[in-house]
Amino acid sequence: MGKIKIANLKKSYGSNEVLKDINMQIEEGEVVCVIGPSGSGKSTLLRCVNKLEEVTAGEVIVDDYNISDNRTDINKVRENIGMVFQHFNLFPHMSVLKNITFAPVELKKQSEAEARKTALQLLERVGLSDKADAFPGSLSGGQKQRVAIARALAMNPDIMLFDEPTSALDPEMVGEVLGVMKDLASEGMTMMIVTHEMGFAREVADRVIFMDGGYIVEEGAPEQVFGSPKHERTISFLEKVL
Amino acid sequence: MKKSRLMWLSIAFLLFFGVCTASWSPSAVAQSEEGKTYQIGTDVTFAPFEFQRDGKYVGIDLDLLAAIAKDQNFKYELKPLGFNAALQGVQSNQLDGMIAGMSITDTRKQTFDFSDPYYESGVVMAIGQDDNTIKSYEDLRGKRVAVKTGTEGYNFANSIKDKYGFTLVPFDDSAQMYEEVVIGNSAACFEDFPVIAFGIQQGMKLKVVTEKEKGSPYGFAVNKGQNQELLQKFNAGLKNIKASGEYDQIVSNYLGNTKPGQESTDAPPPLSKMEIIMAALPILFKGLGMTLMYTFISLFFAFIFGLIFGFMKVSPSKTAQWIATGFVDIFRGIPLLVLGLFIYFGIPGALGIKIPLIVAAVLALSLNAGAYVTEIIRGGIQSIDKGQLEAARSLGLSYRTAMIKVIIPQAIKVMVPSFINQLVITLKDTSIMSAIGLVELTQSGKLIVANNLQSTLIYGMVAIMYLVVITILTKLADSVERRTRRG
Repeated sequence: MGKIKIANLKKSYGSNEVLKDINMQIEEGEVVCVIGPSGSGKSTLLRCVNKLEEVTAGEVIVDDYNISDNRTDINKVRENIGMVFQHFNLFPHMSVLKNITFAPVELKKQSEAEARKTALQLLERVGLSDKADAFPGSLSGGQKQRVAIARALAMNPDIMLFDEPTSALDPEMVGEVLGVMKDLASEGMTMMIVTHEMGFAREVADRVIFMDGGYIVEEGAPEQVFGSPKHERTISFLEKVL
Repeated sequence: MKKSRLMWLSIAFLLFFGVCTASWSPSAVAQSEEGKTYQIGTDVTFAPFEFQRDGKYVGIDLDLLAAIAKDQNFKYELKPLGFNAALQGVQSNQLDGMIAGMSITDTRKQTFDFSDPYYESGVVMAIGQDDNTIKSYEDLRGKRVAVKTGTEGYNFANSIKDKYGFTLVPFDDSAQMYEEVVIGNSAACFEDFPVIAFGIQQGMKLKVVTEKEKGSPYGFAVNKGQNQELLQKFNAGLKNIKASGEYDQIVSNYLGNTKPGQESTDAPPPLSKMEIIMAALPILFKGLGMTLMYTFISLFFAFIFGLIFGFMKVSPSKTAQWIATGFVDIFRGIPLLVLGLFIYFGIPGALGIKIPLIVAAVLALSLNAGAYVTEIIRGGIQSIDKGQLEAARSLGLSYRTAMIKVIIPQAIKVMVPSFINQLVITLKDTSIMSAIGLVELTQSGKLIVANNLQSTLIYGMVAIMYLVVITILTKLADSVERRTRRG
């Protein structure tokens, strides 16, 4: 039984069908990178996993919870799914530390001191111990994204979703964020990553999914998708980006 | 959770209006002691029949009413609303009766029942004191003539305006009408003789140039078919005070020996500017206090409306959005004055309930401001990047917690300048409620002018008071805003 299981998923905005019959599965501890041209539906697919997008048809099952079922308490399921956004979405009115301790204190009823201890460990892990009392406005993009990762990890999730986590960064900051993600992957975290970083996908992913036009066109081990793509749309996409 | 809070807010709202109703109408207390306390409407500025002197309402009408009430042993509460407002108040049963120098006419008899006539009046024409060009109606050709709406003077002038070829300039109160003639914007005004005689006695720079037209007599009015026992008491009392000589005493107290067609000689020495200011200040300050109180009470409820409908507007529920949009469209689309008139006169007329003036005014102000606050709150919340809500929700927070802890603290900073703006607007808008008789700063000014006719000075003072208060509040609010921005 997979950690994330998606069956016959369809998603439309009005008459515009963005996802057309998606079937996929992610196993525990697996790192899956989703690649494809913009508008291919990869971000939408990712956002269906924690129900930031309502599915139009089909099933999304996470941790044995059917989240496409409205009776499922989505807030409970989300506690176990960390998400990192392209634009960081840190809470600007809270300090870095408060950004990280906020959800555990609010939802896991941790004491401030307890949450603070965890948060400081997480900041150390992402290399930002000295920024605990800073406000997001004073951080660089790369620092913001590392705080965002720490914030997501503070809820101690089993699954991490990354929605183009380096796309809004200056090139020199991409490395520090990918470094943190690499560490996470090596610790056995289940990760689903929408990315344009082909080098990273090749190096870190257990499996690569190529999407185009709302379909999964091709998937497989990175050596296979990057090394010997079968589908011509995959070939032409990779030709453009590599 | 959300529903119960909404319910509590509605209960608090109802309680407030309940308290207002109880505490602002002393009649509720008096009623239980003996008999009914009648609500009697009157004009605010129809000297010498009703006007303010030293902050108290006096005049022939009011002295007669007091004498008759004493003679007949009934209680009443006086509601100085303005003539037209009183007319509508009686028609909608907000008032039991009215005494306001009201001529008994056949048209009015269709909607009102009148007492026996208590005063024989007659319309005269008055012109500026130094004007020697106008001696009769013929001289008015091509000129402007000031009149007060709803009066006999208006009706008379209207009936002859085509014959003599002049145009009418209607006003809502006598003071404005006089001022129009004194400053020369209009050539003449038409008004009941005693009214003008009294004004001239007060030092107004006008003179009467015609004999009294045969006019309709004045009567006390009740709504047709209603309050007949009050009418009978009035008639009986009137007979008694005429017999006792009290009636003549009251009338001569106000009119002295002025006759139509002659200038009064016994005008009191005019007051100095300083004396006028000193006399007006306490009344204006009290009015200012009322303005501030109504502003803050109205804004409090506007915030409750704004919070309820603002959150409905940004909520995911289409029905809630639809309701909130309806609220905003309706109360932003109706001019405040019309809303006030409708609540105070329209609703009681239709439903047969009485709405106290203060409740109607506060309701109109808070619904109007509530529509704008709704939009401010919606705008503030929607100005926050939707990634903030997504980030909070992705951590597992409920919509409610995410809103309260993440979105609102950020949105408030965006909203503060608009809230300050709304505070200033609502403070100024309270003056609009003077049209339904709410006594606040503007109305206090109008009442003083009605008595001393010093419109330039008094309205100047009123304007300065608004300016000073609004400037102070804006500066205060600015410093609060700077602090929230820093924090």
